[in-house]
Amino acid sequence: MRGSQKRKRQYFGRVRLDGVEFKVGDDVYLKRIDAGKEESDEEVEDCVVCRRAGGGTMIECDICLGGFHLKCLDPPLKAVPAGDWACLYCEEGEGRNKRKRPTRRSIKRHRTARERLLASELWAARIDRLWKEPDSSYWFEGPWYIIPEETAMGRQPHNGRREVFRTNHIDTNEMESILRHCYVMEPGAFQKASNEGDDVFFCEYEYDAQWHTFRRIANIDQNDLALSNDGNSEGDWSGDNTEEHEVKSSTYRKHKKQKKVIKEVPIRRKKYSIAAKHANSHSRIGGLEGLWAKSIPSDVRRSQTEFEKAKHALLLSSIPGSLPCRETERKEIRSFLDDAVAAGTQCLGRCLYISGVPGTGKTATVLEVLRGLHKRVEDGELQPYRFIEINGLRLISPEHTYTMIHEALTGEHIGWKKALQKLDKRFSQIVSSSSVDGRPCILLVDELDLLVTRNQSVLYNIFDWPTRAHSRLIVIGIANTIDLPERLLPRIASRMGLQRISFSPYTHHQLQEIIHSRLCGIQAFDKLSVEFASRKVAAVSGDARRALELCRRAVELAEQRLSDLSSTTIKGCRHAKGLGASGKLIGMADVEAAILEMFQAPHMQIMKQSSKQAKIFLLAILHEQNRTGMAETSFEKVAIAHSLLCSTNNEQCPNWDTLLAIGCRLGACRLLLSEQGSQHRLQKLQLNFPSEDVSFALKDNKEVPWLAKYLC
Amino acid sequence: MDLIDEAAAAEHRQQEDCEAAAVDAALALLRRRLLCGSAATLLLPNSQTNRRKLLEALTNTIIQGCSTSMLLIGPRGCGKSLVLDQVLEALQKSYPERVSVVRLNGLLHANDRCAMKEIAKQMCMEHALTFSKGASFEENLHFLTCVVRECARSHRTMIFVLDEFDLFAQRSKQSLLYNLLDLMQSSSSQAALIGVSSRLDADQLLEKRVRSRFSHCKLLFLPPSTDDIFSLYDRLFLLPVNQCSHWQKFSEDFKEKASVVLQQGSVKQLVDEFMSMEVSGQRCVDLLFRALCELNPQSGHISPAQFKVASANLTPQPKLEILTDVSVLELCLLVAMYRLEAREVESYNFNTVFKEYKRLEEHNTCDVYSKQCALRAFEHLLERELIVFKDSSGLGNMLEVRPIKLLVSRHEIDKGLEGNISCPTILRQWRTHETIK
Repeated sequence: MRGSQKRKRQYFGRVRLDGVEFKVGDDVYLKRIDAGKEESDEEVEDCVVCRRAGGGTMIECDICLGGFHLKCLDPPLKAVPAGDWACLYCEEGEGRNKRKRPTRRSIKRHRTARERLLASELWAARIDRLWKEPDSSYWFEGPWYIIPEETAMGRQPHNGRREVFRTNHIDTNEMESILRHCYVMEPGAFQKASNEGDDVFFCEYEYDAQWHTFRRIANIDQNDLALSNDGNSEGDWSGDNTEEHEVKSSTYRKHKKQKKVIKEVPIRRKKYSIAAKHANSHSRIGGLEGLWAKSIPSDVRRSQTEFEKAKHALLLSSIPGSLPCRETERKEIRSFLDDAVAAGTQCLGRCLYISGVPGTGKTATVLEVLRGLHKRVEDGELQPYRFIEINGLRLISPEHTYTMIHEALTGEHIGWKKALQKLDKRFSQIVSSSSVDGRPCILLVDELDLLVTRNQSVLYNIFDWPTRAHSRLIVIGIANTIDLPERLLPRIASRMGLQRISFSPYTHHQLQEIIHSRLCGIQAFDKLSVEFASRKVAAVSGDARRALELCRRAVELAEQRLSDLSSTTIKGCRHAKGLGASGKLIGMADVEAAILEMFQAPHMQIMKQSSKQAKIFLLAILHEQNRTGMAETSFEKVAIAHSLLCSTNNEQCPNWDTLLAIGCRLGACRLLLSEQGSQHRLQKLQLNFPSEDVSFALKDNKEVPWLAKYLC
Repeated sequence: MDLIDEAAAAEHRQQEDCEAAAVDAALALLRRRLLCGSAATLLLPNSQTNRRKLLEALTNTIIQGCSTSMLLIGPRGCGKSLVLDQVLEALQKSYPERVSVVRLNGLLHANDRCAMKEIAKQMCMEHALTFSKGASFEENLHFLTCVVRECARSHRTMIFVLDEFDLFAQRSKQSLLYNLLDLMQSSSSQAALIGVSSRLDADQLLEKRVRSRFSHCKLLFLPPSTDDIFSLYDRLFLLPVNQCSHWQKFSEDFKEKASVVLQQGSVKQLVDEFMSMEVSGQRCVDLLFRALCELNPQSGHISPAQFKVASANLTPQPKLEILTDVSVLELCLLVAMYRLEAREVESYNFNTVFKEYKRLEEHNTCDVYSKQCALRAFEHLLERELIVFKDSSGLGNMLEVRPIKLLVSRHEIDKGLEGNISCPTILRQWRTHETIK
């Protein structure tokens, strides 16, 4: 028992190493293998003037980040001034560089960890999880931070001196490689920080190393440190770009290999005994702290049974390697993108419009093609490109598109009018082909129809940019309606409508193939039942999502059925043994049940179960409808008919107020379409379902048998 | 002699006290049974199967990480929210720290922006983060995606409960539903969306692209049948057995009397009639609760009269009550309007009505009122919504010339005239006889 536990990893909330406590959510410096010689990890920076550390308050220049003693300045300062402060050298250097900095005579000058980080000699990372391996070495996992120079577009004027970017690349490293803590804050807290030392940085964006795009971080992760400083100021936690890159992690790992810290080189001696003791005492409490609690529950998901495997395979969220049945469309999209990207810097702008009903794999196919394309870029077959994804339904207003595109391209968040100007300029000017800006850019706009404004300027701009000579912009628009270009102004239609691909709904053969491809190697489904399900869905909508959901529900129902069965067999009767073999598979009955649940029309059941007077009321409406030949009647007429029906059949007629209540209640379930009850006598009523349905539901009623004689 | 008497009196008093205590305890027990919801779940025909289905689907989400969406539909008062609450409570008990629930209501969160804000707020509360009021829709949405992703990484399930689901579906862009349902589809999420609606066609209201992302799993909640109600009442009156001899005797007595009462034809008919108007779990609980409120603490047993009072209490007749206590002048005006309608006068206003009323005056039997006075009465009628303006046009015009409509029917006016004590006989005649000029 003990042995088996020891073999597992142990996760901790915090770990003490060399007397320094590291906990989940902390940021740390990491040693780089090639820069291991310089052992100094001074926490205090030297003064630029007197070359000594300590001894009085120091102030930092906001431009060169140099440290100065207040007393060493000329003239000396009494207190730290508010706001930005620039040192003499920087202030004058902007002019004619009159004063020279004290020359760096001493070679053995101390360099702070911050300087070394900004000079790419150290790495920084965040700790997301901490654990102890079975061989009692401590490891952590977390994303890297990079400095602006390391991004594809290099340092940009709007980048702060202490700005870093968090990458979406997560690696595991040994704890030994940690140098010490650093503090990466979100901008609001950074602004207010005054005395946290030299190791303070701010991070506003997450950098996607694959597509070279930026994404603003919502700082839920810095829960205690940052948010306690910052009340409810604007931008407390803010995020704008919400696209999800569905990137396979395997292709991704390959990409950023260069940034691995070598684990074999021991940098520091550690005291395992202390660390282990400490960690154990905190593992319970520290392990469940807030959102970052990574307490992995005991019942870790492992698909054991065939049914569970099937359920996982059928989940909408599990992305298949390739989509079956979309070969021609995929080919078309691929050739379109190949042509566009292969041209590289000579690339001309292009537009593609993809239409099709929901659930036919439009977005999935495009993303799949892009994944393939990216692989080829990595292998060096293709020129690199950039990729931006926008979804029309995730924007506040259509104009917000500009802000999003601009932010994704440059990492700068500005208002849409300004963003439009900048984008306009960017796409019309000639950019040097070697820079990142010169790369072709693929813009994927999902739910394109949501971007239609009154003067359609957003769509016009998006489709106009590719036509400019040096834009190198490739736009792929996705929407449901096939004739969207025709509904737009001719000037947009002529720009976007040239190349189109339409995704037709899946036929039942295709749906069958999709389901089979997902269930490959899993023995859970009866072959006929899959066909049944796909035929049913193909007849209604041809929506792959619907088919998958239907099958998944069938699996769940079969699971329930089997658990019922086993519980009854345990109770004593063992005759179900023979049934077991056939019942192990998901059969027609389960699919039928799932279909019933999905496509059932509840109105018949509700009508059958409704109260006596409600049934008479429905009959009265039906009667009135037949008499006048008009679908719509008023409450007064129905009420009179109702009381007539009651009096001829020896029923007690409720008063009009009650009748009104009954009518309103039926209206609330939408068995009737009705006006508000305050209209009273003049309230208009109409059946919401065909009269055949109503008469069928009211027939054969035990409670009020006389209803049948009015229904023919 | 006196001493013995006193002792007997004291014993008697003590016994009385004991009985009163027993009655109180029994009442408290019954009320608790009725209100905490266990009664209604016993009663509703498919609430048990629905409960099981819902519980299993959500357990699935928690343990295996399959995101789901579901819709609970059924008429009001049939236990949709009740079952959902019970399921959520059970989940939170059996999987503490692994479920977080976000509740939204279509009536409260009137647009998608404020709904998104509410989601962010509830998440902040749950995870002890600081909530920022100024965050925009997009920022909140991004925050939501992040939190759901983080929760999924720590195997924590987010459950979104959307009460009055149909109101969310009636918004112009349905962006909230689209984003929530799209979230369920990403591989890095572990969440469930439960919609609750009384509209049977709630899922038909969804836009195509939203509908495609919705799982279409619907659970239907049905109202109970009358037999169910009686068996429930029988079961409810079964008081638990206790050592105390007083209680023992009382509970047996109580049950016996209650079953006798429930067997009585008059009670049966009463309940039947009450339920024939409208049947739902809530309603039958209400009826019994009202009946218990009327219970006489001296006798401590239920009687048919209490059911009668309760049912009368629960079937209000607002229009009729208004009609029985309007003034004579107001009644006269109503009758005048009715006469106009009977002669198929298409459109009429106060002046026409007053002219008609003047003809009644010719009979010299009524008190004579001035036009000013009549106008005042006319305004009262408008306030009570017995009459309304025909349309909103001519808003600036004088009250007297705007066309009006009568909202009460002939049947109701008849009832009102009968019930009204101060109604003069001539008015009744005037209403029935078209010829009286």
